[in-house]
Amino acid sequence: MERIHNHPILEEKTGKKVKFYFDDQEYYGIEGEPVSTALIANDIEIFSIHRKADSPKGIFCANGQCSNCTVIIDGIPKKSCITPLEKGMHVQTLKHLPELPPDDHRLDFSEKKEFSCDVLVVGGGPSGLNATIELAKQGFSVTLVDDKEALGGKLVLQTHKFFGSIKDCYAGTRGIDIGKKLAQQVREFDNVRVCTNSSVVGIFEDKKAGIFKNNKSYYLINFKGLVVSTGAREKSLVFKGNDLPGVYGAGAFQTLVNRDMVQSSQRIFIVGSGNVGLIAAYHALQAGIEVAGICDILDDVSGYKVHADKIRRMGVPIYLNHTIISANGKEKVEKVTIAKVNDNYQPLLDTAKTFSVDTLLIAVGLSPVDEFYDKASQFDFPVVKAGDASEIAEASSAMFGGRIAGLEMSRKLGKDIEVDESYNQKAEILKSEPGDVYPRQKIHLKNSFQPIIHCVEEIPCNPCTSVCPNNAIDLVENKGDLTDVPEFHGECSGCTLCVAVCPGLAITLAKKINKKYAEVVLPHEFVPDFEEGDKIAMTDRDGHYLEKGEVLQIRQNRKYQTWIINARVSLENATEIAGIRIQEQEATQPLDKAEFEYIPDDGIVCQCEMVSAGEIVDYIKSHRVRDVNQLKQIRVGMGACGGNTCSTLLPRIFQKAGVDWEEVQQGTKRPLDREVPMFAIINEKAVEDDE
Amino acid sequence: MNNYDIIIIGAGSVGVPLSYYLAEAGADVAVLEKNCSVGRGQNRAAIGGIRATHSNPAKIKISQKTIDIVSRIDVEYGFDVDWYRGGYLFAVYTEKHENDLRDLLELQKHYKLNIDWIPPSRVEKLVPGINSSGLRGGTYSPEDGSASPLKVADAFYKLALDAGVDFHFKEEVHKFETNSNKIKTVFTDKNKYSGDLIINAAGGNARDIGELLDTDIPVFPDSHEGGITEPVQRFFDPMVIDLREGNISANYYFYQNVEGQIVFCMTPKPKIPGKDTNCTSKFLPEVIRRMVNLYPRLRNIRVRRTWRGLYPMTPDGFPIIGYDPKIENMFLTVGMCGHGFMLGPGLGEILSEVLIDGDHKHDDILQELSPERDFSGMEKLE
Repeated sequence: MERIHNHPILEEKTGKKVKFYFDDQEYYGIEGEPVSTALIANDIEIFSIHRKADSPKGIFCANGQCSNCTVIIDGIPKKSCITPLEKGMHVQTLKHLPELPPDDHRLDFSEKKEFSCDVLVVGGGPSGLNATIELAKQGFSVTLVDDKEALGGKLVLQTHKFFGSIKDCYAGTRGIDIGKKLAQQVREFDNVRVCTNSSVVGIFEDKKAGIFKNNKSYYLINFKGLVVSTGAREKSLVFKGNDLPGVYGAGAFQTLVNRDMVQSSQRIFIVGSGNVGLIAAYHALQAGIEVAGICDILDDVSGYKVHADKIRRMGVPIYLNHTIISANGKEKVEKVTIAKVNDNYQPLLDTAKTFSVDTLLIAVGLSPVDEFYDKASQFDFPVVKAGDASEIAEASSAMFGGRIAGLEMSRKLGKDIEVDESYNQKAEILKSEPGDVYPRQKIHLKNSFQPIIHCVEEIPCNPCTSVCPNNAIDLVENKGDLTDVPEFHGECSGCTLCVAVCPGLAITLAKKINKKYAEVVLPHEFVPDFEEGDKIAMTDRDGHYLEKGEVLQIRQNRKYQTWIINARVSLENATEIAGIRIQEQEATQPLDKAEFEYIPDDGIVCQCEMVSAGEIVDYIKSHRVRDVNQLKQIRVGMGACGGNTCSTLLPRIFQKAGVDWEEVQQGTKRPLDREVPMFAIINEKAVEDDE
Repeated sequence: MNNYDIIIIGAGSVGVPLSYYLAEAGADVAVLEKNCSVGRGQNRAAIGGIRATHSNPAKIKISQKTIDIVSRIDVEYGFDVDWYRGGYLFAVYTEKHENDLRDLLELQKHYKLNIDWIPPSRVEKLVPGINSSGLRGGTYSPEDGSASPLKVADAFYKLALDAGVDFHFKEEVHKFETNSNKIKTVFTDKNKYSGDLIINAAGGNARDIGELLDTDIPVFPDSHEGGITEPVQRFFDPMVIDLREGNISANYYFYQNVEGQIVFCMTPKPKIPGKDTNCTSKFLPEVIRRMVNLYPRLRNIRVRRTWRGLYPMTPDGFPIIGYDPKIENMFLTVGMCGHGFMLGPGLGEILSEVLIDGDHKHDDILQELSPERDFSGMEKLE
């Protein structure tokens, strides 16, 4: 596998090349990058052999949550996704149980590290950053803790332009840039202490939080109020082969591709057509990775239609009413099979299609990470939650939610302030689900450019209306809010700003050249692999091939990092042409014959301890289980991740066993939220300055 | 009204095995439990050690029986409960503790327990890499061991279900109807029950049950915290106990379970009375500093989870077993003082012989642990 050298949006990753060893072979990686990334960049995808199942394990969350990526580093078991690569490291496959190496040097130093603040903000994503800014403005001392190296949360993985409004939430700006802007603002406050590479591992009843920092030290933080902006975790899915290396979440994929810049796959398939799955396809194509397709069990795309249309235009088929039935491969994913479902969502096996891919991304929804909120509420601490931790929605709404949370916390801590009602309204609108779809009106081309708006579904987004110098694009007055669809009226100067800013790549310009030909202007977010004079494949809004157009001009709008392509096309198709096909159709062809095993109960629910759906269902029935805690007996939830991965699957598993989930007692959450080595808890090795 | 021969209050370390043995002996048994499933009181918090090497005959006999049952439950009933005969090792670094333990040895040997004083070299062999500075040796009892409290509770739950025991979960006993010092009806928040015999096996809540009947059961919980690490290959066998005092702790102890995880627990000093089981921030820094100091090799292992559980204590540190002095048909199996898990199965079998068969061979145990005893003595090794 390769590193990504020629990304349309991201700059090439630079750093010192260092030698390291894996199973005694020499390799090279970039100093400071996660060991897992260095391994994947060297085509090493099997990190361990599971102690119980004797099966290979690879990267899974890339987020420090699970322990699938554990390897032996210089003799000690460590999670490779959160261990920075150092020169000369000896990395080994973890086979079954690790050995704890003898280490007899006496304890000669230990320290208790403790400090205080007014408000502890957990999670520095869009909501946490905004909450921090509001609290800092009110004069509170704030400690912002985030487990990544860079602030911004998932914003730093988003290479696409954001929806929403320019005024309120940076619409039209790419996520990575929004993250940087917010982080910059936060760092300007003297009363904010930022702890990156730090995880809150426990909220204790004596109003302290335990922080695991830089993989080596442990702090206790005393706080008065707590803001929980810990984001979401990805839901997983049970199917045959779901534990194979190469099956992982879209979040992990985005981390590998957009943060660490490794071309982690050749070809992927994606389950789930929400915005996360759709965007993952877009990220893959930008990274030079083929996307064989996206499937969704529902009969309509779950994400924004403009996103889906954009992906289809790029040449990725979306299979609706289809579910994944198996992933196969010897040591990692080699093939995946999907099938159509009937009205009861059961697969129709004679419709099975198998694709040859090396990676399967699961993007079937998110669930809030709000355990610290629950804990703090239980202890009666002043606490608020914001962003996905509160309700799964777009980052634009999380930013507003963060501001509101910051103000609410200020109020809880005694400040006499009211939350501006317009904030709540805006946050609500930005959360809106996609609304109605409108038919497009027939357009007659003129001899001068005019915009063709291919955005026909109500979503909360309006940057096109803000950038037009002639104010010639407005939202159609229908619902009367940000979700109305845009409409062009008046004069177009042909400036192409609307083309460049639209997050959905859903605006083109077109004008008549003569009776036969027209010129269109298309947005393009890939490094052009064509030149002026070349003929390239053009599609309509929904991705259907229309014709080859001749490239007349290639420009780049630097502000919006978007290429603007002028092409000559037939007059007949000019108003229909909406995009440029990126990938050849061969990449999306299923195999001639489907190859799969359909054993629904064979899928793994607990990845840490490798417990299958069937085992759990049987146990629920035989032991009349009505308490998730009872499943610990078969080790469900006893692994390193603390039940974070399997918890989202359990409702359906109980349902399968004939038990109403409402009747079931939830599992107990206790510290630590992540595993912490003993030397870190006593700060044996760490003497470091605070930020 | 639900009628049973015997109603047990509490589906914990004591109540669940007891329900099985009673039902197996022919009684019609119900268990009332306020939590959603078995073992959700303090069984879930037990770390799993089982030793017979106590300081008084009754506890020795009961826990010997437990070891016998738990070590054979796999062969006899087909339940793997992670039993491991790793022994108990009290590692000694002070003269006082050496003297105390050597004194106790005489008594323990008198009861034919397999325990002896071992020199530092032997300690270092059992726990390779243990801090040898000031190590005086220790007492070692190779026949003691450990098992998974969760799995033992679960095994007895399954056995009890198969033996016909009725478990009523999510039902909290909140009232009794009595008639001349006899319980006639037990009221939970959902139902009412009657039984010839009511057994109070309510662990940390034993005293509250007594209060409903105006009888004072001297059980006062305090709390200890425990934790568990990631699993690694086995590198030592015994439960290791360090009796010294720390900054905010008395003794602490740890062992490696069958999964390969280190399970550890600390006794706070001063004691923390009450029923609070929320985790505190003080526990980990204190216990880990002491553990790494004693056993430096542990520094590289990762702590996975912590929890806090109750030690339902009695004034003298010994359990209370027997009929309540005031309520004729209430039998007490309470105040296990943190040893409910290692006493439960043995106690269950013994009490079924006492209560169903009317056997007198356990009278010595009942006498020692009688609710009407003089509570002024004190357990030597808590």
